[in-house]
Order: sequence, then structure tokens, then C-alpha cells
Amino acid sequence: MFYELAQSLTSGLLIGSALAVLSVGFSMAWGITHVLNVAHCAFAVLAAYLGYWSLAWWGIDPLLALPLMLPLFFLLGVVMHALLIRTTARRTHDLGLATMVLTFGLGVVMENGMQLAWTPDPRVLKTAYSSLTFSVGPIIVQAPHLIAFGLATLTIGALYLFTERTFMGKAVRAVWQQPMGAALSGINLDQVTTIAYGLAVATAAVGGVAMSLLYTFDPATHLSWLVYVFLVVILGGVGSILGSALAGLIIGLIIGASSVFVPLAWNNLALFGLLIILLLLRPQGLLQR
Amino acid sequence: MQRALSRSFVRPAPDVVIGIGLALAFAAVPFAAPSAYVLSFLLTIFMYGALAGSWNIIGGYAGYLSFGHAAFFGLGAYTTALLLFYFGWLPFLTLPLAGGVAALFAALIGYPCLRLRGPYFSLVTLILGLAMYALVLNLPFTQGATGLFLPFLKVDVYTSHVIFYEIMLALLVIVTAVLRQITRTKMGVGLAAIREDEDAAGTLGVNATRLKLQAFMLSAFLTGLVGGVYSYYKSYLDPSFVFATSISITIVLMALFGGRLTWYGPLVGAMTLSVVNEALTTQAPPQTARIVFGALLIGVIMFLPDGLMSIVQRHLPAFILRRAPPPNQTSGQVADPPPNQTSGRV
Repeated sequence: MFYELAQSLTSGLLIGSALAVLSVGFSMAWGITHVLNVAHCAFAVLAAYLGYWSLAWWGIDPLLALPLMLPLFFLLGVVMHALLIRTTARRTHDLGLATMVLTFGLGVVMENGMQLAWTPDPRVLKTAYSSLTFSVGPIIVQAPHLIAFGLATLTIGALYLFTERTFMGKAVRAVWQQPMGAALSGINLDQVTTIAYGLAVATAAVGGVAMSLLYTFDPATHLSWLVYVFLVVILGGVGSILGSALAGLIIGLIIGASSVFVPLAWNNLALFGLLIILLLLRPQGLLQR
Repeated sequence: MQRALSRSFVRPAPDVVIGIGLALAFAAVPFAAPSAYVLSFLLTIFMYGALAGSWNIIGGYAGYLSFGHAAFFGLGAYTTALLLFYFGWLPFLTLPLAGGVAALFAALIGYPCLRLRGPYFSLVTLILGLAMYALVLNLPFTQGATGLFLPFLKVDVYTSHVIFYEIMLALLVIVTAVLRQITRTKMGVGLAAIREDEDAAGTLGVNATRLKLQAFMLSAFLTGLVGGVYSYYKSYLDPSFVFATSISITIVLMALFGGRLTWYGPLVGAMTLSVVNEALTTQAPPQTARIVFGALLIGVIMFLPDGLMSIVQRHLPAFILRRAPPPNQTSGQVADPPPNQTSGRV
């Protein structure tokens, strides 16, 4: 029993890191631009598919394709912001709700577009290292889990350093904390939100590839990933990068523990219940100051 | 208000005359013996019209966008179905129970959830919808994914179509009447005030907590009624359809598309989109239809935040709607605050 628990907690922790990187962009976009991009995970699934096809068609490992995807997804985020979000922002005074509905529409378009292009069949990523395992003492660690953890650490670390150490990153943080003050001290709000948006969608691509290493996926998967993202973002606090990282790991541990104690069918229900309780008790996030 | 009511007995408002005329015309359609296909298509329109109308009480009037109305629909459907399945009680008699269970559930979740505002409320209702699906799927007495097979009405298939057609039409008329009536009562004004500025409404003596809960329960009750009829009409139900997120989304889309600030907007939205959907699904794969749906949703939010009816209203002869300017409509136009800081930022 103890061994079983340690095993599931370990893999839960590694899965949690993938959830963290999947969520961090959503959290940032919500915090900085007040946009709830419900299509966030649709972008992630798109990245998962691109990785899958680059392996299937050209034999390029998704991890090698990822650096090429990043600028593409950054651009996608910028274009989406310029075409959709800015126009909506000019016409509404409740941006959160309006963009939620808007990106829901976008998610539906993307999901069904992917279904038309690549069928609704679930896909499993089969890489050279898929079945590779390491044993740390009595605990077995799968290579894809470890790689997802590495991807997550790199991405979140880079994002954190960007916001802490660079001028642009500090501007992003300033806009999050106090938009009016940031604008008054000469920060170009439009530029900052555009960059934040591009980064958010680019991290979705990393999250998608990380998740595709761990789980099977199909176009409709993005909705179930979205539930995890909500959970992580609400727990970690909207807009907080380290909060997302920590919350991702916590959720991972809970997933790991519940796979031992709760029957499989009730797992999701336990997560939903947790999310609802969280939303009701502390909608501003547990880890937020 | 009192005067407006007593006057309307003497000389009914033009929109009421038109509405009753349309309802009677549709009620007479089965006498022309149309094909079962036409009947079931019209029934679907009525159903979505009633659902979008019910949703509009909380989503449109109060501005609390619920993304989980499929939960109430499914609860209503399962209430009548289970009572029929285990006790043999006729769904037409247990229908109020279907609405009641949905309203009770709405009261339970609404009390805590309605404290959340904006996207947080939408998120929690979305998750609740998913949770209800997962719950019903796993409960032993609902037979999970296998679903429930219900006995048919003891008449021939066509007559049963006609019966359900008339019932669904009646539900639509009830929902629409409730929706219209709300706009001319204190409740409608209160809900509009909550939508425009909840804190200000509170300081002006609007009991927001109670009003929102009432609106939410009424909305759930009507949705549950529709669900209760639907399960008997289909005579088979499984959780993956009646609790589907796509139902919740379709309802929201229809109401937004038609215009959620008016009582006829959701109805118009449901009609338009049902026709579009039917035309598309018969011509193209379902994915294409859904892509068009998603694109429509994007277009409406970007260019017509107040829905299709906001254009129609400008061109409709004024006398039709003269007597009934919904209070929220006027307040929406007069008191619409200029785009604030949040939107200016993006």
C-alpha cells in the first residue's frame, strides 16, 4: 500500500508539472489582459497534433519540432489578439465574459476543424523513448513523464526569469498589477498585452506537447484538459506564474493520491467537486496573497 | 405598472396579438398532416426556443451567463424518466416534479454560486454541468451509459409525434409568456439593475441575492420541464446526450445570437440557428455545421454584442413594440457605461 502510494504520488507529481505548464499561459493571459481564453487547450491539442504528425510524416521527434512550433504559436497568439480580442474589447464593458464566449466559439471551430482534418480518432504518441523506464530505488519512473517534467521546468523557469529580470517582463508584471500606473510611466499597454498573449499561446504549445507525451488525445480532449487548467489556475491564483507551478504540482499529487484511494470512475467527480469547492471558498486562488 | 396591466385587458398589446396568432397557427399545423420529419423539426425548434428562453431569465436579464444549463435539462429528463421506469408514473403528471427537482438543485447550487460574478460564475456552472454528467453516469439506478429505455405512448407513432408537438409548443408559449411578463414587473427591472451594476442596485434597495436566486430557480424550473417532456418524447435517454456540454453551449449561443436583452430575442435566435443547423447538417458533415456555429458565435460577440434583434428592432415598425419597451432595453441604452479601463487596456 505504501509502495503503491509512493509510486502514484511520484507519477502524479510529474503529471502535475505538465498540467502546470499547460495552465501557466492561461493564467497569465487572464491576469494581464483579463481575457479568458477558453480555446487555450485547443491550441495545446493543435500543438500535440503537429508534434504527432511531424513524427509520423517526417520522423522528427515532437521535442525537436517544438522549437519550430514556438514562434508559430506566438504568432498565432498575436494574430488572435489583433483580429478577435481587440475588436471585442472596443465594444464591450465586460471583457472577461465576452472573451469567454468568443473563445468558446474559437474552440468549437478549432476542435471541429481538427476533426475534419485528422478524424476524431484518439492518437497515441509512440516515440523512441515511450516505453523507457528508470528505477529510483523501488519506484519506477517513465521517461515521457520525466521529459514532460523537464519541459515544464524549463518553460516555467524561463517565463519566470523573463518577468523578473527583463525590462519587458517587468512591464508585463506592472500592467498586471496596476495598468493605469504602468501606462502613466510610459509602458505601451498594447505592446505588452500583445506580447503576453503571444507568450500565453506559445506556452500552450509546450503544454500540449508535454501532455501528448503522457496521455492519448483527440480533438475533443481540449475540454477535459481545460478542466485541469481551471483547477490549476483557480488554486494558484489568476496571473501568478509560480502559483500555477505550485498548484500544478499539488493537483498532480491529488490526482496521484485519488488514483489509489478513489475508484477510477469517481476520479473526475472528485476533481470537479474540489474545483467547485475551491471556486466557492476562494475564487481569488489559494496561493494568492 | 397596475395601469399598464388593466389597460392591456381592454386592448391587448400588438406583440401579444402577434404572439397568440403565431402560437395558434403553429398549433393548427398538425391538422394539415405534415410529415413526421416536419413535426419533429418544428418540435426541436420549440424545444430550443423554450430552453433559450428559460436560460435568458438568469443569463440575459440578470447577466449571469450559466454554461451548465444542461444539468437542469438532464435532471428534468431523468426525473420523469426514472419515475416512469421504476413506478410507471406518467411523465405528463410528474412533469411539475421534473421542474421542481431542477429548481431545488438550482437553489442548492445557486445560493453559494451566485455570489460569484462574471466569468467565475460561468466557470463554476460549466464545471457543475460536467460534474452532473459524471455523477449520473456512475449512479447505479440510472443504468449509467447504457441508458434507460422508456415505454412508448400507447398510440401510433404519428399521433404520439402530434401530442409531443403540441406539448412542446405549449411549453414554449408558457416560457415566452413568463419571459415577457418578467420585463414588465419589478423583478425585470431589478434583474436589469443587477446586470448593469450590481453594487449600485444593492444600494438602491434591490435585494440582489434573493432576486438572483429566484431568477435562477425559475430558469431551472422551466428548463427542467422541457427536459421532462423531452425524455418521454425520445423514449430513450443516456447521460451523454441530456447532460452534454454542447446543449448548454447551444442554449447560450441561441440566446446571445437572438439578443439576450429582450424576451423575443432568444426565441428568434433559437429559430434562426435551428434552421441554419438543419440546413447545414443535411448538406455537410456535422463538424462543418459546428464550425459555422462557432464562427457565428465569434461574429455575434464581435459585431453584434446585443444580438440579431438589435438590428431588427431599428427597422421594425415602431407600433409593434411601442407598448413594451423592456425596461432593461432602455436602461441598456441609456445607462450603458463607456468602455472602462479593462477594455481600454487590450
